[in-house]
Amino acid sequence: MVLTTGLLGLLYVIFAVVLFQVLNVGLVPMLVIVIGIAFFQYYTSDKLALAAAGAKIVTREEQPQLHDMVERLCAMADLPKPKIAIMDTPVPNAFATGRSPKHAAVCVTTGLWNRLEPKEVEGVLAHELSHVANRDVLIMTLASFFAMLAAMLTRFGLYAGMWGGGGRRDNNNGPPVWLIVFAVSILVYAISFVLIRMISRYREYAADRGSALITGAPEYLMSALQKISSQMTLIPNQDLRKVEGMNAFFIIPAKAKSAAAELFMDHPPLEKRIAALAEIAREMGRPVA
Amino acid sequence: MGLRDVLLGRKKLEEPKEDRLFALTTAAVTLQVELGLKTSGAAAIAFKPQSSGEFRSAFDDVDKLIDAVGQQSGSTIERTSDEYGFDWIVVHDPDLEDLVGAAHTLAAELTAQGFGSQLLAATFRFDGGEHPVYWIYGFKRGAYWPFVPTGKETRDNATELELKAKLEHELPIEPDLTRWLALFDAPV
Repeated sequence: MVLTTGLLGLLYVIFAVVLFQVLNVGLVPMLVIVIGIAFFQYYTSDKLALAAAGAKIVTREEQPQLHDMVERLCAMADLPKPKIAIMDTPVPNAFATGRSPKHAAVCVTTGLWNRLEPKEVEGVLAHELSHVANRDVLIMTLASFFAMLAAMLTRFGLYAGMWGGGGRRDNNNGPPVWLIVFAVSILVYAISFVLIRMISRYREYAADRGSALITGAPEYLMSALQKISSQMTLIPNQDLRKVEGMNAFFIIPAKAKSAAAELFMDHPPLEKRIAALAEIAREMGRPVA
Repeated sequence: MGLRDVLLGRKKLEEPKEDRLFALTTAAVTLQVELGLKTSGAAAIAFKPQSSGEFRSAFDDVDKLIDAVGQQSGSTIERTSDEYGFDWIVVHDPDLEDLVGAAHTLAAELTAQGFGSQLLAATFRFDGGEHPVYWIYGFKRGAYWPFVPTGKETRDNATELELKAKLEHELPIEPDLTRWLALFDAPV
């Protein structure tokens, strides 16, 4: 996930550099293009995210229990009812998307629905609805947009300085200008990447708190988080002989997952979230162990 | 699989890694002392039979050898097949070393005949807990994983993870939990 986001951003920077340097697009048209892309992402965020995840919107008839649950929580949180989607994967997870509460969608995986108790699903849904209420899609789009803008302006400043202030002389013995421009923009991008992760982690704590306030029962979100991140949910229930048909299953080598540093995670570590939730529970006068 | 095989689309099935089978015999001490689990005296090896004459004749040779080895160590051998189209060789012997030895012989011989990639898994049953504990050895992965069935299609993940934690240092355990596939109603 971190790698994907990083690479996507890098692609964005390369795209901007190519536009700017090679095609000689001026600063203003480029700003228009970059802002245009940001707006496109913002306006289509709900459909884009659902399509990218392969999630399917479900009607009340298909999932009456899930609809009831979301309606109850929305009434508690004073939110319009979002679209509800289901993603068919055994890994328990959920996400919310959409630019405003009116255009929001929440998605749960079949794994989450099947493996967690109803009270725990409620805690997770309330967490996602808090993201909607806090307008986190807007915040994150803005955050990454400013990061892009910063990277771009640095590049523009450098470019102008190099060519304006007698840069031609330096150019003969130093590295090519575009290389410096490129290096600085990547550096600026890297810094903003870390900053965006930090904002994201803060918003996660905020949504955990929101969930606790909506449901009034932080202990269920705590146990849900523990279940979601527990290794147990990885162990399959299918029979070895049934999946043997899929040849690819045997070919891909086993790789132990390496732990990513907290700095690059967009969610805070589980222990810290649990500790924060326990603190909230204490504030609410419902201490949990 | 090398880059050339990828480019030419020549995907090969993994050859079996039977060498690490024997690790279970040392781990058996820990299983008994710390967890009170003892071999049930039965193991089963699953493989996919081929309909070709070459496979049949090769397998007949292996089959005879298994019988000969079984007679020497005093184990009884049964053959059965299941609804998934796999054939099983079931070995009964109170001594775990003989069970592992039989699995190894079968794997090594089939590999020598060129049919090693037909091997799926060997499973060793241990009793002593609330539910039977199976150690499944995946020939393609070259690793063991625990399997504790509690019903027709349910398994006890907590116990399985506990077994992993206890035996991690003695047994080559499959690190990728998504590969810990079940073998419900194995013939042991």
